Amino acid sequence: MDPVFAPAGVLLAAAVLEIALARFLSRAAKGWLACLGAGLATLPVVAMAAKVLHGDVLTATGLAWDSGIPIAYHIDGLSVLFMLIATGIGTAILLYAVRYMEHEEEGTTRFYVLMLVFIAGLVVLVCSANLLVAYVAWEVVGLCSYFLVGFWYKQEAGPNGARKVLVITHLAGYGLFAAILLLYMRTGSFLWTDAGPAFSTGIALLMLVAAMGKSVLFPLHTWIPEAMNAPTPVSALLHSACYVKAGVYLIARMYSIGPWHPALGNLLLLVGCLTMLIGAVFAVAQTDLKRLLAFSTVSQLGYIVTGLALGTDLGVAAGLYYTVSHALFKGTLFLCAGAVQHAAGTRDLRKLGGLSGRMPVTTAVWLVAAAAIAGVPFTTGFVAKWLLFDAALEAKQVLVVFVAWAVSLVTVFYFLKATVSVFFGSGAPEVRAEHIHEVAPSMRLGMGVLGALCVVFGVAPQVLMRVVVEPAVRALGFTWQIQMTWFGVVTGSGAVGVTAGAAAVVAGAALGAAAFGFTHAPVRGPVLVFTGGDPLPEDEALGAVDFTEIAEAAFAPVYALDPDPLYLRIWRGVMGVAESAQDFAVRVFEEHPVATVVGGATVLCCGVWLL
Amino acid sequence: MSELTLIGLFAGLALAVALYALSLPQGGLSWWGLAALTVALVLAGRAAGPSWGGVICLDFAELAAAALVWREGTDDAVRAARRYLWAIAPAIVCTIAGQALVGHGVTPPAAPMDKIALCLLLIGFALKLGLIPFYFWLPPVAAAAPPMTTALIVSVVDIATFAELWELRHTASWVFTEHAAIWMGIALLSMGGGALLALAQRELKRMLAFSTIADLGLLLTGVVAGSPVGLAGAQIGAVSHALSKVILFGAVGLAERRIAQPVTLDTRGLAARLPLVGAAFVIGALGFIGVPPGLGFAGYWRLYVSGAEYGGPALIGALFLVAALDLLCYVRAIHRVWLGPAQVVVNGAPAALAQATVMVLAVGIILLGLYPGMFTTAVGFAVAAVR
Repeated sequence: MDPVFAPAGVLLAAAVLEIALARFLSRAAKGWLACLGAGLATLPVVAMAAKVLHGDVLTATGLAWDSGIPIAYHIDGLSVLFMLIATGIGTAILLYAVRYMEHEEEGTTRFYVLMLVFIAGLVVLVCSANLLVAYVAWEVVGLCSYFLVGFWYKQEAGPNGARKVLVITHLAGYGLFAAILLLYMRTGSFLWTDAGPAFSTGIALLMLVAAMGKSVLFPLHTWIPEAMNAPTPVSALLHSACYVKAGVYLIARMYSIGPWHPALGNLLLLVGCLTMLIGAVFAVAQTDLKRLLAFSTVSQLGYIVTGLALGTDLGVAAGLYYTVSHALFKGTLFLCAGAVQHAAGTRDLRKLGGLSGRMPVTTAVWLVAAAAIAGVPFTTGFVAKWLLFDAALEAKQVLVVFVAWAVSLVTVFYFLKATVSVFFGSGAPEVRAEHIHEVAPSMRLGMGVLGALCVVFGVAPQVLMRVVVEPAVRALGFTWQIQMTWFGVVTGSGAVGVTAGAAAVVAGAALGAAAFGFTHAPVRGPVLVFTGGDPLPEDEALGAVDFTEIAEAAFAPVYALDPDPLYLRIWRGVMGVAESAQDFAVRVFEEHPVATVVGGATVLCCGVWLL
Repeated sequence: MSELTLIGLFAGLALAVALYALSLPQGGLSWWGLAALTVALVLAGRAAGPSWGGVICLDFAELAAAALVWREGTDDAVRAARRYLWAIAPAIVCTIAGQALVGHGVTPPAAPMDKIALCLLLIGFALKLGLIPFYFWLPPVAAAAPPMTTALIVSVVDIATFAELWELRHTASWVFTEHAAIWMGIALLSMGGGALLALAQRELKRMLAFSTIADLGLLLTGVVAGSPVGLAGAQIGAVSHALSKVILFGAVGLAERRIAQPVTLDTRGLAARLPLVGAAFVIGALGFIGVPPGLGFAGYWRLYVSGAEYGGPALIGALFLVAALDLLCYVRAIHRVWLGPAQVVVNGAPAALAQATVMVLAVGIILLGLYPGMFTTAVGFAVAAVR
């Protein structure tokens, strides 16, 4: 077997072992086995990263998946980037899951098998040159997420979320399938490497619909908050490493399938900007920590897609760097949220509070990841945003810069709300209980590693750029002219504008820090807010609910953009048509079989004679 | 697909039905006798190939299946069996007369015999397969008969009839090519109408019956298109259809036996009490509607390719629309009936052998779907159109 098949092979072998050894392994041992499998799968990916560093492409053809349909791999820089995310971050998440899932009384084998197949699905998707096999992998990823979101299938919330995941993403996935069929009709081949000029704007639009469903782009984003009633490792894998990144991969890959019409880029820019805005505004109104993170994923995916839509080397680099950065900080944030829920038994921001004293490591890791998502310097988030602003300025998309900047402010706002509500102030009586303590070391290690990488690649982003992002950008047919130094300082064109912008941001941050200092806000105890005069009485201090109410009042028109009521109307319309058809069929066909046979036969005979 | 493959498929399905019925009795000795007779006639019909002997064996198999429904003895079953017979009797006459006129010839008989033959074949096969608007017998049969009786009818007898149709596509292709619009019309009507009507059902066995109609409509598009990829799609789809329907009716039958009432959309949370049966239903349902990696997808992608070649974007759009309706229908059934908190009293454990049978079939369609080459290469679906 060609070594390029090793990552998926190792993951699937681990899944088979999980099933075979299920009776003999403890719950923790199953977790360690899964973690080991994902870790081992990362090794060949690292080896492949070294091979594609200089623009080489690894190709291989395996056995025929179906008669005449071989499993054909085309591994370039883009494939490696996504494989590293899937296997690397997947390993950290599985490490975290060992102790997290240890207390589950049933279903741990099912959980680990699905997690491993989920990761393997993404690996096959990003490696496959055969679009039909890629579509199968795309749907395998979708099905795994469906089963994982519905992991607690005996409860109400999990299956409901899973249902929405399946319906929205599978229906959107028909776009990809239709695009594959159209490409096949034009080229007679399922290989995307054969597409060339056959890749029209219409086909690209169909692929875009599929990507929008997977990558929670507006208006197909509404499944993601409902998917939060899953075990936290699932949420982390869904949001950071695998699921939402599948759509990003598809959008990026479209650059190497064929030429884009500029109008498509503009459409994607619009979708990206709307998504980042709507995701952020909806995040502000959440009082459930994981739902807040879910909407922040929507918003961040908007950033990523905006970067890719710019269509310049800098824009694509920004989008891809942002992809890695988001995988790191969002994975960390979800694992922290899971640790909080694990320890406190709730993720309700109205009840949580004051956990920094009891969970110092989790707090520290959360703060690092929250700083990254907010774009604080020395983190990957800052570098990603910096690159994006630079790319947008260079492409003369000033409006995009403005929107991205405004959304950054909103992001800081809702992460401040989440951070203060969970870790500072004081919580409800049940979360003040003595039993709340820091999570197990392996869980801390899992989220700590990801959090640390947010800083490492924030301080030395040129390493990530050189080793991972540059080969990916080159694989998409762009040239590489980006000169990046320590801390993400870009020294190319457009850097002056971005530097001025960054200066304004730093000044704003300094001002905020000063304001925070002047209020003398205590670390623990009720959060006091500087009101411009005397502090508010203790019981009137602003909390998560107040933030939510303010947001709901301020952004009321935006909340009307929730597409769920429209989907519900469509569903009711379809059901109405189905019930009318049923009434008609019963009255006409089922109650009068003789007339049906005679009438139907007459109509058919007339048709045969007349046509 | 060779006769041997079909015979193997039907024999395998009959074995699965027998194992299920051993563990979860579907009737007395008369049931076993009639079920064995039905299967034997289908196998004999397939062994005889495209000949008068084969046609007559399959027609008698239809009659034996109707008797299988009748022997249940309840008012609903007798009424359903009467309807079945009322459909089968003219269908047998029409198909025999039609095939006599066609004479398995590659050239059409002189006018107007060609049109008469076509009309007879259209009506005969539409009645036998329960295509819309001639479907009136299938939902009552599904609701009234024991699950394995229905499984035998839709998975063995119906698929054997469908095999007759694709043989006709080879031996007398003019029947399809010269009036393709009529065939495609009835296929689309059955596909869309069946899917829509399935969505409106509250009782699961009726829903499964309507989805059978929808799926047969889809398979018919491949036969009408007539390309190698379309015919291969129809044949693989038929195999997946047969396997999935045994799983689906089997799972519903297991649940019904334990809750002692029909399974409807108001029966909630069955999987909490019958997890393996629930898993089998979910796998069978998703595989049946062509969600990868079920075996159904191996047939569906070929049917979609042939649809794109034959009818362009309009036909593809129609196929996707029906696929969306199927998805909504089955996902609703999965979530309303099987998942979520248990809200129904389940007495005792499910019959072990019956449960094992549906689970083995469910695992089979997943494995075959993950690596369909294992099946398609073995039975010789080298699709020339695919590079």
